[in-house]
Amino acid sequence: MWLPLLFLLLGIGLGFLTDVSVPEHFASYLSIAILAALDTLIGGIKGYLNNEFDPHNFLTGFFFNITLAVIITFIGDQLGVDLYLAAVVAFGLRLFNNLSIIRHHLFNYYQEKRKKRIKNAGN
Amino acid sequence: MKMKSKRAILSLVLFTFGFLIAASFQNTKAFVFEQEDVDPDWERTFYYTQQLIDFEKQNQDLQQEINEVRADILQFENELVSSEEEIKDTVQEKIDLQALNGELPIEGPGIFITLKDQEYVPSEESIDDYIVHDRHVQLVINELYSAGAEAIAINGQRIYHDSHIVCTGPVISVDNQQYPAPFEIEAIGNPNTLRESMELDRGVIDQLVNEQIEVEVGAREQINMNSKLR
Repeated sequence: MWLPLLFLLLGIGLGFLTDVSVPEHFASYLSIAILAALDTLIGGIKGYLNNEFDPHNFLTGFFFNITLAVIITFIGDQLGVDLYLAAVVAFGLRLFNNLSIIRHHLFNYYQEKRKKRIKNAGN
Repeated sequence: MKMKSKRAILSLVLFTFGFLIAASFQNTKAFVFEQEDVDPDWERTFYYTQQLIDFEKQNQDLQQEINEVRADILQFENELVSSEEEIKDTVQEKIDLQALNGELPIEGPGIFITLKDQEYVPSEESIDDYIVHDRHVQLVINELYSAGAEAIAINGQRIYHDSHIVCTGPVISVDNQQYPAPFEIEAIGNPNTLRESMELDRGVIDQLVNEQIEVEVGAREQINMNSKLR
């Protein structure tokens, strides 16, 4: 379980160390990619809690979402339409949706644990 | 095996995610720094612009001052010119007056009158009636001054306002300078006027002729007289 966390820290450290500078014009691409990544991560957690987590689906979804978000932003840029707003809205909605589901799961999990404890105490 | 693959995938995803987050964070920070860099730039621009405006205002004020001073100078020059003309006129007047007064040499057209003793003297006892006296000379000189003579000289010696002419025996003394007859009196002035006033009926010349004096009158184009020697 420590390996993913280690890699997270490794990625953060590498990101800071490499000193990547994205031109101001492409800053929105980066933020959209982050939003997509966050969405996929939350989606993965939700899937895990729902017991329907598929690692390969997760992996492809992660990169596909990022790529799609960036492409949509790029097209929007070319057309002069703020298409990235569509991506932001879609990802934002899904993000909150998934978060609420996760919250439900965690709440239920806590409740059941508590009931068990009370039952055990009653016995 | 399945578990390991799952972990590897999660690690990869989290690695990418972390990298993206860090890059974005740093990028945003750099952007903010850039903006902060822009701020002092703008402040400097503002400062120099303000300074420029101040300088321009100062320049304008100074230009206005220059214009005012120039106007003053112009006025002063005009005054100077007029006062110079005044001074010129005054100096010219002074020179003229000095020339008249005898402090400066004078020259110009005029007439001359020669008074001679009568050559023929009937009797030695009445010789006084036939020679030129100081009063004759004074008469001529007074008449010439009355007629507008500017300067008068006797035998080349100029007469001044305080000159005296007296008889001392057979000679006439002009300012202690003695001259025997004949006397040539020169006068600078309008020759026609002077001559006419001399030759008036019952005028000076008539009187002199009556008193047995030989008189010769003539005009001269140019008469020069020296100034008083001090």
